[in-house]
Amino acid sequence: MWRVLDLYRRLLAVQIRAQLQYRIAFWFDLLGTAGITTLEFGTLALILQRFENVGGWKLGEVAFLYGLIDMAFGTMDMLFSGFDPPFFGQQVRQGRFDQLLLRPVNITLQVLGSRFEMRRLGRIAQGGLIVGAALALTKAHWTLAKVIYLPVVFVSQVSFFGGLFIVGATITFWTVESIEVINIFTYGGNEMMCYPMHVYPDWMRRFFTFVVPAIFLNYYPALYFLDKPDPFNMPPFVSFLAPVAGLGVLVAALAFWRFGIRHYASTGS
Amino acid sequence: MDMSFIITVSNLQKHFKVSRHHRGLTGALRNLFSRDYELVRAVDGVNFQIRPGELVGYLGPNGAGKSTTIKMLAGLLVPSGGELWVNGCVPWRERETYVASIGAVFGQRTTLWWDLPVIESLDLLEHIYKIPRERFRHNLSEFREMLDLDPFLNTPVRSLSLGQRMRADLCAALLHDPTLLFLDEPTIGLDVVAKERIRQFIQHVNDQYGTTVILTTHDLSDVEKLCKRVMIIDHGRLLFNGELETLRDRFGGKRELVVDFAQAYEDTAVEGAQVTEREGQRVVYQFERGSITASELIGRLSARYRIRDLSVREPDIEATIRRIYEQRLLEP
Repeated sequence: MWRVLDLYRRLLAVQIRAQLQYRIAFWFDLLGTAGITTLEFGTLALILQRFENVGGWKLGEVAFLYGLIDMAFGTMDMLFSGFDPPFFGQQVRQGRFDQLLLRPVNITLQVLGSRFEMRRLGRIAQGGLIVGAALALTKAHWTLAKVIYLPVVFVSQVSFFGGLFIVGATITFWTVESIEVINIFTYGGNEMMCYPMHVYPDWMRRFFTFVVPAIFLNYYPALYFLDKPDPFNMPPFVSFLAPVAGLGVLVAALAFWRFGIRHYASTGS
Repeated sequence: MDMSFIITVSNLQKHFKVSRHHRGLTGALRNLFSRDYELVRAVDGVNFQIRPGELVGYLGPNGAGKSTTIKMLAGLLVPSGGELWVNGCVPWRERETYVASIGAVFGQRTTLWWDLPVIESLDLLEHIYKIPRERFRHNLSEFREMLDLDPFLNTPVRSLSLGQRMRADLCAALLHDPTLLFLDEPTIGLDVVAKERIRQFIQHVNDQYGTTVILTTHDLSDVEKLCKRVMIIDHGRLLFNGELETLRDRFGGKRELVVDFAQAYEDTAVEGAQVTEREGQRVVYQFERGSITASELIGRLSARYRIRDLSVREPDIEATIRRIYEQRLLEP
């Protein structure tokens, strides 16, 4: 276990050193990603100012949801960037994945260690600022339980998005033509999770409840943190299902990943 | 499993399903809905055994099944049938244990980190392969000298020339003392000097450490300089498996003797050989292997003429192998 962690640390250190070689590019990237988020959220804030709220949620409340998801997705995008489906598909086609298979180290660890996008720090910082602003804007009552549960929700969201990336990467073993479909799930899922779920039509919400359990990771925990009533009258424990949903998706994704590797070894393409 | 062999391959098969594409616009529409598969037998019942310390050339035209075999030997592909034992392991079944005991260089790709200086990649491999400190230091200093890595040890891999990268990759593949080394086109795209250096290094590793080497190449001078034994594959089947000499004897065609006479003779004919070229005092004779030896021929010539210098030209192995493919001299 220590050896694995030590190796992971070394692989990341390599990535960081390599990225710091291009210092100017790094700062521009960082500014760029942060800038896009600011712009997106700025647009939303302007719209909210005009219409007062989104589905009954005020600016601060939407900002809380938005900022938290942004931080989680950014963190995932940094840690799991080796599994980013278009990137991973390319690695497979160029034979770089075979090179990893020739090394006597767990393959999942190697893919995790094969890329570490530091520039996502821009997005994470931006998300953090938005959450900070949200906390100042909302008058939610912060109990000790909430303070403890918040990082748990964050980690669950990171595992959830990580699971989506792993599923997407695995699909590229079979086909690279459907990359766009995969992007709908990862980036589209991220986008839709930035807003309160009750603004979406029923079929869509059902999909994100029963097929991809996204609703347990952003909406229900947010209801709890912000002391909002549940329009769907689910039992209160539903707000605490985030770790179950997040880890569940990650574990299922890893099982699919192992299945995909077996398939790859029998076709080589 | 016989332990006197490092590789045992019996009736090895690899079949792929390849989807058949229909042509034209209607064909493109049919592709969307139906999938016809065609079964391609990339490797179709291959048998061979290799002893520790052998240096074997594995040859065949493109698409013959060469790299599919190598991928199965390296544990990257699971066979469709037959058996495969390497280093006492079934490669694909115990990947992590198995790959620790082999080294591989796939000519077109690098195992090194693109943006890192060479030395940092090599240092990282020490941890990836859990190489004992002393061993690592010893191997690194030896390979650095033999492959002359020092001039570019601190250069990022992306800035290396092809030859430099290949030298760095060879070093990377051998730092953990593998007992078996797979080289896929190790000299592709290199100039003569760089090729020679790489060949010398492979020979050295084979002599010094007894490393078993399987080499695929398009450059047959690699094979001539390095390999005693060759295997030839085509259409998924082994056509030849044996000594390079035997291959030459059976299919090699004619040898040549180039003679520089001390003076220009009018008549230079000799029994058992034909004159194919004449230029001043230089005459080239062609003779059949098996009907006369080089020394007999030289004896006959020197009895009649004054010879200043001579040399024997072996038939070009490249031409030999091309003839084997084209005329399908070796039906499986």
